[in-house]
Amino acid sequence: MYDYTYMMRRQLKWMLYLLAILVVGWEFTEYQTFFAGLILGAGISALNLWLLQFKINRIGQGIVDDDGKKRTLGMLTRFGTAALAAVIALQYPKIFDMVAVILGLMTPYLVIIIDYFFHQTELTTRKRGE
Amino acid sequence: MLAAAIAVGLGALGAGIGNGLIVNGTVNGIARQPELRGTLQTTMFIGVALVEALPIIAVVIAFMSMGQ
Repeated sequence: MYDYTYMMRRQLKWMLYLLAILVVGWEFTEYQTFFAGLILGAGISALNLWLLQFKINRIGQGIVDDDGKKRTLGMLTRFGTAALAAVIALQYPKIFDMVAVILGLMTPYLVIIIDYFFHQTELTTRKRGE
Repeated sequence: MLAAAIAVGLGALGAGIGNGLIVNGTVNGIARQPELRGTLQTTMFIGVALVEALPIIAVVIAFMSMGQ
C-alpha cells in the first residue's frame, strides 16, 4: 500500500514542478499565449491526475473493507474538466493557444510513463507479499 | 454536431470497455490477495490513465468541431 501513496505523491510533485516551470516560461518569455495554454491544460490535467489517484485508492479501500458501496472511477468528471479546458481555450483564443492546451492535457501521461520506467524495477523485482 | 457526438460517443465506448476490463481484473486480484493492493492499484492506475488519454482528446476535438 505504501508504494501506491508514494507514487501518488511523487507524480503530483513532478506535475507541480512542471507547472512551476511553465509559470516561469509564461512570465519571462514572449510566448505568453502558448505558455498560458500549457498552464491551463497542465493545471486541469493535474487535477484530473489527483482525482484518478484518489478514486482508485478509494475503490481499493472499498474492496478491502468490503462495505458493499457502489463506487465509480469518475470518468465523466475528468471528461468534463477536459471539455472545460477546451471551452475556455475556444472562448479566449487571444489568451490561450488551443494546441498548447491539448499538449498540456497530455503532460500527466508523460509524467506517468517516465515515472513508471524509472520505478518499474521496484514493482517487478519485489517478491510476493513484500 | 453529429461529428462531435460520434467522436465523444465512440471514445467513451472504448474507454468504458477498457476501464471495465481493467477494474474487473484489479478487483478480482485485490479480493483474492489484499496484501498486493498497492502493486495492483499502481498497475490499474497506469492502465486506466493510458486508456483515458484518447477519449479526453476526443472530447477536446469534439468541442473544437462544435466551435467551428
